[in-house]
Amino acid sequence: MTKMLDDYALLSPLRYTNNWLKIGVVGFGILMGISSQSPLVPFSIAICMSLATLIFGRVPPKFYLKLLMGPAVFVVFSIIIIAFFFGSGPELFGFNVLDYHLGVNTGGLSMAFLVFSRTLGGMCCLFFLALTTPMVELFSVLKKTRLPDSFIELSMMMYRYIFVFLDVAWCIKHAQTVRLGYHDLRTSLHSMAMLCSTLFLRSWEQGEKTFVAMNARCYDGKMMIFEEKRPVNFSEVALSLGYMVAIVGVWYVSNGMLEVSLW
Amino acid sequence: MHIMEGFLPSPWWQLWFVFSIPVIMFGMYRLNKLVSERRDLLPLLAVAGAFIFVLSSLKLPSVTGSSSHPTGTGMAAIMFGPAVTAVLGVIVLLYQALFLAHGGLTTLGANVASMGIIGPLAAYLIYKAGMKANINFYVVVFLAATFADWITYVVTSTQLALAFSSQAGGFIGLLQGFLVIFATTQVPLAIMEGALTALIFKYIIQVKSDALVELKVISQETVNKLRGISA
Repeated sequence: MTKMLDDYALLSPLRYTNNWLKIGVVGFGILMGISSQSPLVPFSIAICMSLATLIFGRVPPKFYLKLLMGPAVFVVFSIIIIAFFFGSGPELFGFNVLDYHLGVNTGGLSMAFLVFSRTLGGMCCLFFLALTTPMVELFSVLKKTRLPDSFIELSMMMYRYIFVFLDVAWCIKHAQTVRLGYHDLRTSLHSMAMLCSTLFLRSWEQGEKTFVAMNARCYDGKMMIFEEKRPVNFSEVALSLGYMVAIVGVWYVSNGMLEVSLW
Repeated sequence: MHIMEGFLPSPWWQLWFVFSIPVIMFGMYRLNKLVSERRDLLPLLAVAGAFIFVLSSLKLPSVTGSSSHPTGTGMAAIMFGPAVTAVLGVIVLLYQALFLAHGGLTTLGANVASMGIIGPLAAYLIYKAGMKANINFYVVVFLAATFADWITYVVTSTQLALAFSSQAGGFIGLLQGFLVIFATTQVPLAIMEGALTALIFKYIIQVKSDALVELKVISQETVNKLRGISA
């Protein structure tokens, strides 16, 4: 079975830190990174958040690296396109393909670099949240927002069934694989369709059963969850504040410098 | 295809939220109405959402080494309509960002627009038009799912090109670049998803067609006709 980020979050030593603090730190990082015009800010955010995830969250570094490689394909392709088609400035190198000139100039290259750094910074922030805060904790945060109840109920029930169905799907897939269900394209297409339709019917029946079971227990459209009080330590606040001040400092210095150099 | 966290620059990720939020609000309104009328639908919708998530985390068998995931949204749109699919899409995309590291939080608006709104809407329109024109059910499902998948990629390419062309003005060139890389490579995969979805419906109709009739996806007559052909 594939390991999901939630599994790590449930075991994380940071699981019991205050949710709002974690969300604040992550949201701050994402917004600062995306609003920066200089790649320096997202890179420093990426380094800080990675260190926090690896040291405080005790995530195995090998797993973390593999996680960062996942989105790499999409990012690399898009960055190549941006580098080739974007911006102005002196051309660095170029070649002709069927009378069509392709070239990379300095503007495009620096834009590609900036986008790369922003994505890296954003991903590191997101991974920090995903690897230290299980969804169960985020539900109590969602309850505090003014989203409609049915939406939150829906997401809570979906969360539960994702794991049930993943289990079923993997069992069926293993059973099909040992019976050579995926040995070529034709059979794999058929096996896959069989798997999906079985899964759909199973989930349909499960939905009916769940309704009966929940009705029998007086479900009235609102599930109560217990929210624990999570006091914030002084050291945690101090560390987050220090991090925020440092990032704001880097933001001002690097973006200020950018303006000066443009001047 | 998911746009990664931090990929869209500043005016654009907000703009896509502005586009998506009203649609999601409308979807939630529809959802609330639906659930207050028939309370037994909520668990059903929940398992449908979980089903989309699991479907999109399974690897599609693919010709070359490159792997792709079915979006599953075409199927959801056919079964539940585009408004409810948009709400399910938001939750699925949020979970994908937090569990599987696909997509992101600031790019959620753009991803919802392409995968939760425009793709499913296309599927739904094609499905309705095809059923009205009395084309074979499986052909219609195949077309709807194929185009839902492919249009999702076209929309994503357009989103990327729009976001990065504002300063240089090279929108067409950039769009061509993104379309060549993302939309053309997606054509065989979209066809695969279409075929897969049609096969899924075939199995469901053979085993338990009343589920589909209850959702008003197809009428009992169509089921009888299809069974008559396949038997």
